[in-house]
Amino acid sequence: MSRVHKIFRKFYKIGLVLFLAIFLLFIFDEIQNLDIKRYLSEHYISEGVQETGAINLVTSVLYDYRGFDTLGEATVILTAAATLSFMTPIKKVKMLGTEFTIIIYQTIIIIIPFLVVLGMNLIFFGHISPGGGFVGGVILAMIPILVTINYGITFSENKLKPNHKSLLEGIGAIGFILLGLLGIFAGSNFLASGQANFGLGNPGELISAGLIPYLNLMIGIKVGAGLAAIFNSLIKEG
Amino acid sequence: MELPYVVVIILFYLGIYTIIMNKNLIKIVVGVNIVESSLILLLILISFKLGGTAPILDRKYELVVDPIPQALALTAIVIGGSLIAVMLALVIKIYKRYGTLNVDEIRKLRG
Repeated sequence: MSRVHKIFRKFYKIGLVLFLAIFLLFIFDEIQNLDIKRYLSEHYISEGVQETGAINLVTSVLYDYRGFDTLGEATVILTAAATLSFMTPIKKVKMLGTEFTIIIYQTIIIIIPFLVVLGMNLIFFGHISPGGGFVGGVILAMIPILVTINYGITFSENKLKPNHKSLLEGIGAIGFILLGLLGIFAGSNFLASGQANFGLGNPGELISAGLIPYLNLMIGIKVGAGLAAIFNSLIKEG
Repeated sequence: MELPYVVVIILFYLGIYTIIMNKNLIKIVVGVNIVESSLILLLILISFKLGGTAPILDRKYELVVDPIPQALALTAIVIGGSLIAVMLALVIKIYKRYGTLNVDEIRKLRG
């Protein structure tokens, strides 16, 4: 009896999932045949470079038109890092370690400068080439993660203390908000850089696009420090 | 019906199926991750135009893909990563307290 019941429940779940899949198939069919004109994205494509000064349109959407969204994302990362730091013990430092060969230790030493250069390049050229603060921050966060995996958590936390990581993260968050307040002081809205005429410059040069490079730098610092803190909190638990 | 939309649907319901059929908490987290991947794929599909260039206007262009869904995909990736990190930390806490990852046994123990 119980076995029949279990089999029935299993088939019931599978049938439910298949039914919902067919339902979604019809909805996607409708979406695909919908013929709409995308006025907003056409406006961004035709006017975005003049209005924001950044030739990377994703960056201009992310940091100028929708700067508030980005502030929300930064808050999400800050909340996740804070939650993980609260949940893990501060004193007990222990992790499962393995011994690697000397090849790996020496390769990490060679790789780290290239990672710094790549991350900084992605952050500072975020408005004129593919990249941006989030991607560059992730690449920068790989350095503490590699050091932690290879040399152990004690060495890693001696080199870059958790207090310094949280300080860097706070600098990123507060800097983003202060740069946003500059828009209000210039007589425009919060987080406005294109509307407030902060020296947009020639599109395509390094120092152009108003506040966007500085906002990119703040987000990069914040994401890098936040991800390193998250990883160290997760690995400390073991 | 184009094939990529079907792939999105298959991935989405594979993730839902993983969430509702498995008893292991780690596998449930993996299912949530699969659902997020399908949603990011859907956002990229919406922004796609045949023959369009990437939205970086450093030279002549004829057709540019839609930049707004790409920015939203970035948002989704960041929030998904933070969510997975918090979920994994909670799973670690649950394992330390109850000694098991099975959902049914955790419900029986209850404190």
